[in-house]
Order: sequence, then C-alpha cells, then structure tokens
Amino acid sequence: MDISGTYLFNAPPRQVWSLLMDTTAIARCVPGCRELRPVGPDRYETELSVAVAAISGDFKGTIELADKLPPQSYKLIVSGTGRPGFVRGTATITLAPHESGTAVQVAASANAGGLIARVGQRLLEGVARMMMDRFYQCLASQLDSGQG
Amino acid sequence: MAQVSIRVNGRVRKGDVEPRLLLAHFLREHLNLTGTHVGCDTSQCGACTVLIDGRSAKSCTIFAVQADGCDVTTIEGLARDGQLHPLQEGFWEEHGLQCGYCTPGMIMSAVDLLNDNPTPSERDIREGIAGNFCRCTGYQHIVNAIQYAANKAARK
Amino acid sequence: MVTPVLPKLVGQRVKRREDPRLIQGRGTYVDDIKIAGMQHLAFKRSDVAHGRIRAIDTRAAEAMEGVEAVFTGAQIAELLAPMPIGTSFPSPPHRALAVDVVRYGGEPVAVVVARDRYVARDAADAIAIDYEILPAVVDPELAMTGKPAILHPEFENNVALPPLPNGTGVSRDGKTVDDSAIDKAFAEAEVVISQRMVNHRVVPNTMEPRGVVAHYEPGKESMTIWSSTQAPHILKTMIAAMTGLGQHQVRAIAPEVGGGFGAKINIYGEDYVAAAISKRLGIPVKWVEDRSEAFVATTHGRDLIAYVDLAAKRDGRVLGLKMRLIADVGAYNMLLTAAIPTLTMMMASATYDIPAIRATLTEVFTNKTPTDAYRGAGRPEATYFVERAMDMLARELKMDPADVRRKNFIRPDKFPFTTQTGAVYDSGNYEAALDRALEAANWKQLKGARDAARAEGRLVGLGLSMYVEVCGFGPSSGMATGGWEHAQVTVERDGRITAVTGVSPHGQGNETTFAQMLADQFGVPLEHITIHHGDTAVVKQGIGTFGSRSQAVGGTALHLAGARVKAKMARFAAELLEAHEEDLVFESGTIFVRGAPAAAKTFAEVAAYAYVPVPLPEGLEPGLSEEAFFEPSNMTYPFGCHIAMLEIDRETGEPRLLKFVAVDDAGNLINPLIVEGQIHGGLAQGIGQALIEETVYDQSGQLLTGSFLDYALPRATDFPRFELHNTVTPTPLNPFGAKGIGEAGTLGSTPAVVCAAVDALSELGVKHIDMMLRPEKLWRIIGTPPAPAHGGRA
Repeated sequence: MDISGTYLFNAPPRQVWSLLMDTTAIARCVPGCRELRPVGPDRYETELSVAVAAISGDFKGTIELADKLPPQSYKLIVSGTGRPGFVRGTATITLAPHESGTAVQVAASANAGGLIARVGQRLLEGVARMMMDRFYQCLASQLDSGQG
Repeated sequence: MAQVSIRVNGRVRKGDVEPRLLLAHFLREHLNLTGTHVGCDTSQCGACTVLIDGRSAKSCTIFAVQADGCDVTTIEGLARDGQLHPLQEGFWEEHGLQCGYCTPGMIMSAVDLLNDNPTPSERDIREGIAGNFCRCTGYQHIVNAIQYAANKAARK
Repeated sequence: MVTPVLPKLVGQRVKRREDPRLIQGRGTYVDDIKIAGMQHLAFKRSDVAHGRIRAIDTRAAEAMEGVEAVFTGAQIAELLAPMPIGTSFPSPPHRALAVDVVRYGGEPVAVVVARDRYVARDAADAIAIDYEILPAVVDPELAMTGKPAILHPEFENNVALPPLPNGTGVSRDGKTVDDSAIDKAFAEAEVVISQRMVNHRVVPNTMEPRGVVAHYEPGKESMTIWSSTQAPHILKTMIAAMTGLGQHQVRAIAPEVGGGFGAKINIYGEDYVAAAISKRLGIPVKWVEDRSEAFVATTHGRDLIAYVDLAAKRDGRVLGLKMRLIADVGAYNMLLTAAIPTLTMMMASATYDIPAIRATLTEVFTNKTPTDAYRGAGRPEATYFVERAMDMLARELKMDPADVRRKNFIRPDKFPFTTQTGAVYDSGNYEAALDRALEAANWKQLKGARDAARAEGRLVGLGLSMYVEVCGFGPSSGMATGGWEHAQVTVERDGRITAVTGVSPHGQGNETTFAQMLADQFGVPLEHITIHHGDTAVVKQGIGTFGSRSQAVGGTALHLAGARVKAKMARFAAELLEAHEEDLVFESGTIFVRGAPAAAKTFAEVAAYAYVPVPLPEGLEPGLSEEAFFEPSNMTYPFGCHIAMLEIDRETGEPRLLKFVAVDDAGNLINPLIVEGQIHGGLAQGIGQALIEETVYDQSGQLLTGSFLDYALPRATDFPRFELHNTVTPTPLNPFGAKGIGEAGTLGSTPAVVCAAVDALSELGVKHIDMMLRPEKLWRIIGTPPAPAHGGRA
C-alpha cells in the first residue's frame, strides 16, 4: 500500500522542521495516540488505538526517525503489533519552501497483516490516508494558532 | 456482570451476563438452546437469526444486555403443541436442507419474510433470504420450501 | 401377481428422515457438546505470511484469570510428531503448531486453554510474538524460480512435485517418455488452440466451521474425540498414531456435521493439539473455529494454472491435447493435497476420444493456506481446461460448440474405455446427454433469442459444457486409506433393522437413501430401519464420505451385508415354514412361500425365532447380524451436459445468469429428490466460482478476502431457477447401477458459465477470459476490447 500527499504550512521550513520533531505535538496530533516515550536517540515507543471497519484495537509500536537532513528531509519508520494484527511502514518526508511557507511532501509505503488486513483491507488505505491528513492538518493548525 | 430478563420461547429467562456476551451465546451457552447456530463473525451468514419482538435479527450482532426485556423466539420455539410450523413442514417436504446448519436461521428469516409478505414471488423470496447463506442447497429447494408454506397459509 | 402392500422405495422421492431434528434445532453439532469440566482452546495464529519466530511472550496470557495453560509450538512438538499425510508424495515436515518458521498467514503458533471461549480468545490475543519477517511468495510461477522466497529448504525452487508426466507414450511409472505420438498429432494439425488458463483458488466455506472436542479419560486410558469431519475412521487412525494410543483406545465421533465439501476429510493440527492437550491435562477440551479463522486455517480448493494446446483438423476432429499443469498447493502438503491435481491429469481426455494426450503436473509451495480436496477435487479443473479449449476450437472453426463436441465423443460401443491418461470409463452415452440438453434448453430457439438480444445491442451469450466425473472412490490400490467400505446389518429381536455404515454423511441424506434400499431388500417399512454412522464405537470399520463414494461403495457394502442377513433369516424362516429358503418371498413385513402368502410368518416372528432358536436349524448360529466389506473393482464415471445463458450489462459489466439447464447421468437413482439437491448444491458452487467467488492475496501473502465482507459467497439472488433433466446409463460395477452425484454439479457448470461470458463478449474479439467474472474486469473489456493482434473480429 503506497500513499502520498503534500501539506502546506504557513511557516518557513526551519520552523516546520522543529514542529515535526516535537514529540509532544506529534503525540497530540496522531489520531488515537496517547504519548511518545523516547527509548533511544530518535526512537520512541507508543500505543495507538485504531479502528478499521469492524476491527478495532490497540497497537504497541515503535517510531523511528532516520536519515535526518534538517530542515530538508527525514525518514519515519513505524511498526506496530496488536490484537488485530500488525502494521509496518516507512515514510519519506521532504520539506521545501513554498511561496511564503513550506510544502511538506510525504511518500509512504505500508503493509498490514493479520485480521486487520484480512477483514479491513478494503478500507485500510482510506483510513491511513485519513489519519495522515488529520495528522498534518492538526500540526498545521497548531502552527496557525501559535502553539507550535 | 449485568442482569438480564428475556422472554425466550414464551418463558422468562433471567441471567447474569458479561456486558459483551452476544445474544447468540446467551441462548446457546446459558439456555442450552443450541438450535441457533453461529456461522460467521461479521454478521453476514444469518445462521444465528432469531425473532426479537417478532422481527428477524442476527443474534450474533446483538448483546444479550440489548435484548433485555425483549421477546425472543428461537427455532426451538417455532413448533406448537408438537405441530410443526408450516415453514418447518415446507423445508421437510421440499428437501430445503442438507447439512442443516443454516436451516434454523433460514427458517426464522423466512418467518419474518412471510409475516411481511404472505404471498411472495420467487424474486421476493430470493431477496428476502439474501441475508442468509446456504452452501449446500443452491437455494432452489429453500425457495420451494418457503413457497410451500406460503401456499399452505393461502389455502387456509 | 399380488401387488405388494409396501411400495418399492428405491427410485422414489422419499422425504429425508434426517430433517425432523434439523428443522427443529435438535441436531447436535460439535459446538453443541458440553462435558463437565471442559475447557476451551483458542489458537494464536501467525499474522505474517512468512517469518522466523524470534520470541514468543506468553506471560500476559498465562497471568489472566481463567487461563489454565498456554502451549507454544515448541511445547506441542514435545507431545506431537510432525503430521502425517495420506499420500506417498514427498512432503516437508509439518508441525501442528509452527516451530521456528511460519509459512502462511493464519498458521497456528500457540494455543491457550481457558475457562470459556471469551477468556481463551482474550488470552490468545495477549500472546506477543516477535517475527523476523521473511519475503513471501504468492505466485506459483514466480515461486518456481526460487525467488523471492524458499519455503522448505529441502524442496529446491519450492517445487513440491517435479514435472510428472502422464498420457500417450508415458510409461505407467512416469519414468520413460516417448513423444512421437503427441508430436505427430501436432505436426498433422490444421489448427492449434493454445491458451493459458487459471482455475483459481476458492474457499470451501462449510456453513459450520470446523470444531473438535477431545476427551481423554485417564482412568480408562481412552480417548473420545468429536470432530466436524467427513471421515471419523481416518480421524481415529491418525489420532491414535499421533497420541501414542492404540486404535482400540480411540473412539472418534462425527456428530451432526455442517457441510464438508472435501475440506473436512483432512485431519488438522487443531484436532491433534486438542487430543494431545486433553491427554496431557486429563481434561476434556473444545475448540470451535471462528469464520475469520476458517478462511485461513481450513484448506482451500483448486488453484491450478494450465497451459493447454489442442491440435485439430479443420473439420473439428481433435488429434492431440497437451496440458501443462502448475498446481499452487500453498505452504504444506495436507492429507490429500498432493494427489488432488493428479486427478486433473487423469481426466484430461474428458468425454472425448483423443488419440494423443500429454499432461504434465508440477506442484509448487507458496506462502498461502494449503489446498486440499474441494468438491470435485481435480475433476472440475480438468473439465474446465478441456471444455474451454473445445469451445475455443469451435469458435476458431466457426462451428456450433455442440457439433465440435459431438464429433469427438467416445462412442457408446467403446465402453469400458481406457483413456490415454489411464482412466477406465465404465459406461457412457455422451451424445444422448448432449441431445437431451439441447432439446431441454431448446438450443436452436435459445440461439435465436441470443441473436435477437444482440440485435438490440445487448451482450448475451450461450455456453455449453460436457463433463465426465469420477465417483465411487476406490479400490484400495489407489488409496492409502483403503478404498473399500464397510457395513453391518442387524435384524433385531423385534424385527426392526439396525444398520451401520462406514460412510459418514453430512448432508447427503444417507439415513434416508440407505433405509430405502434396506426397506426394499427386506420388504419392511422404512420406519422400521435405523441407519447409524459416524461413531467408530458403533461403526466398527469405515473410510468415510468423499469422492462421491457413499452410494456406489458404501451403499453396495450395505446391500451385501443385508443380503447375508437375509439369506440367514431365510434359513430360519424356512425352518418355521417347512419350506426351502429359495422359495421364500420377503414382502410387506412378512415372509412366505411363493404363491402362499396366507401362510406367512411375520418378519418379527422369524426374527424372534432366530434369537431363541429352539430348535436351532442344523449348521446355523443364532442371531441375525452380518457385516460386509465391499472393495469396488474400479471407480464410476457419471457424466452430463450443462448449458448456460448469461447477459453482461454493457454499462456496469455485471454478468447475470439468465438460464441454466443441466442434464446429469449418474446411472440409476435411489432418491431423485436428494439427487436434485446434490446437483443444485454442486451447481451453486461451480457457478459461484465462475461468477463471484475469488480468493485474493496481496504480494506480502495477506489474504485480502478473509471474511464474508470480501469473499462473495453466493446468495439466493445470484441464481436463476436451475432446470434439471437426466439420462440413465447404469454402471456395471455395482448391483444398483448407481454411479454417484455428490460433486458432479461443480464440473460442467463452471465452464458453461465462462463459455457463455466469452460468447457474450465475442463481438468484441474476446476469445478467453479467466474467472472469476468480476464486473470491473468485464467492464474494462467492454470499454477497451482486446487489440486485434490477440483477437480480431470474426
């Protein structure tokens, strides 16, 4: 499953970069995420509640930031397992100046297994896209409201 | 645990149940009414169909606590005074079953179907039981069985 | 001639004796069984299609209230050896629970024993498994390159069975191959049809998922195991072998079984695990499969690719057939897995007298649920490939599809007929079945209706398919289980009859058909007969219900046992009537000397005498109970012709079946009502495969059609009313002349529907479409017809 998107932020790349590295802001904006606990350099543990079609449940997982090139790009490696199965994904995030702000381009590829794939596959891509949209819209709104 | 009181086949049955207990499991495990079968876990197959307050419902999709205070009829409660229900008779006469697993749910759906529409066309019947799977019969003898019951009621 | 008071029942539409309990919810299926102290099992299954198990953490599960025990694969491996299979094909070790490596999504890895099914499920969910995910392979042709994954290191390039040849010029053992005849056929051909075809994977989906209750009683050192199985005697044999018990210590019971369709012949890991845990803990345990488990944990069917080449003259005469088969068997060999596709090779000649055939079969492991028998098991695949090729030949030659077939039939005077692939067809009259179908469907008029619809711009097509099926599986030379069947008939002291059969019906209605036979044999009412089956403590020996063998093999065994009892009873009756036993007539519940019914003894009187035999006739033992084993000399080959009319919506691509006519010849019929039911069910599965059923995996090996949300099981609205007709060509191989009908419906129906779809799209240059006929696929074809290079308008 491959998904991609571009999100516009009303701030220069450097400011958006810091927002994207702010674990509190991230935890606040990932739907169903309670907290990010650092377990190593650029490595966090988290719990996520996800509901896809008839399947819902908690995932325990890790989030890792890699290949950081501030303020241009980095890689996000996510893996989680839980009652409904597992999800794994890698996203490449690129920041580029866009007019007065920043365009954040996300290219992600992910796969899922177990019940969540068997029963929820048809909706999985839609749910993943929705979660991604909500995440970046949430971050962008934090910036707008000055919380970032 | 939650207290429920459900009238099942004319008798009030009380029980302490976990809130997550499915009505299908309440009937099968607590009341030993094992004629109600469970054939899937996504509410598609209809093997667990019972009547709740006279309307067909998939008992695997309803928690026992949701049926509190309701009137439930299962396949075991369909025959009266040793007399088969016309649909049961129809399934027997027309060879409307093979392995028998879908049969209770199929019959309970058909009860509701005929209540709604006592003189259904073949199309009406096929659409009326589209929420119930049968893997054995190819449905044709089931359609015949329901027609049998409808015709019998019409003759009366 | 006096008219018997009791009518003959064989051949009558007798209502089923199984039904009163089933229509009142009084049948007992495995999940209805409760034993005091019984605990419930739940399996933790692999979420990945291929992976190495790095760690299993069961602590959270073990800590849960109500959890009795948790076993991992390694712990179960101490109790159970690798699982046996039922064929002699090479096979990788297969553990009941995976140890170290998982090879398909859904493979069981650990098991929980708990107070109830809810707690068991919670605990199984709480088991955490860390996998090193390995690359998965789901395409068998890719798997044969050895990339990107190797499932079993001892099977190079994932090849489970290296190309096995069969047919003209191939020695019986497959070791020497002479190509001259098949080469000559293709050299002399005026037209050659070549097509790659896929007979895709389907999920059997019995309405009752599998289930097992195992009860080991330490004080008695005996095991009782209830399982939703088609073959309790095979289960008994295997459970004994795997748990270290003698066969005398195991009792296997198939209670009410909610459908099998081949998927419940196999003895599964869950059966062995339940038995092993019950024996280890000394308590009864139950496991019942969820539907979402069943989709991955119960064997699938079909999944065969064929490269078909058909050589013919322009007059339609077929000279030769090549069929290169690639079978995707999934991750492991199960009980019969490896043998199923060999039946496709064996049936490559279909109903045709093809002078040169070369079939080869390669079996390949992939990271999918294993395949095994599914209704028809190998024969529908053969029928599909050959009938599609014949249809393509007809289209190429602009001949009527019926005429091409007629030109190549095996003639009725050639039976018994040995095909180039070694099948010995017992009897047949294929032209009669074809003519009956053309007449019943009104073929000419139907073609007119199709052409008229086309003139209005509608996409309407007609499809026709012949089939020949293999039924009555036996003899023992071809079956590792033994190919016989067993029966015992007892005339009780009150004259009632108790009969037991080694077949294990699960919807086939043998409690009725077998009683019909015995009622006629003994001249007693149906109600005086009870048929027992499915309990190895009651039924001493048996093989089981599969391969459409119940009537031809099981029915014959019962008839032979009945004949033995009847002969003995006649001697007792002769003593009472002071007559010769060969002069006696059994009729209407009495036994009398021919021509003297007034001096009859009742059946019950003679029975009572046989149990208190004063005086005991010379040379006789008391009692009236006899058994028989019947070993058939060969299999039977029923056949038929199916015709489908189908319309494809030009706007949406949605196919709709308008008409379906089936002519089936299963020889003599015991109960036409039950036979019709069997045909209907087979048709629904065959048409379902063509029209809506499909098993889809993604590239990582995840099953995407893993529930009824995504796997389209046919509903009542998917079918028109089937029109059934028959011809009767008895088999010489058993006293009833009955061939078998359990699976036949799945053979002709699938190609008939696909042929109709191709016909409907023929104006667009379409020559072949692979199943299933997904509206989106058809819609794309309608939108962009195939390029002329591949097709070309006629």
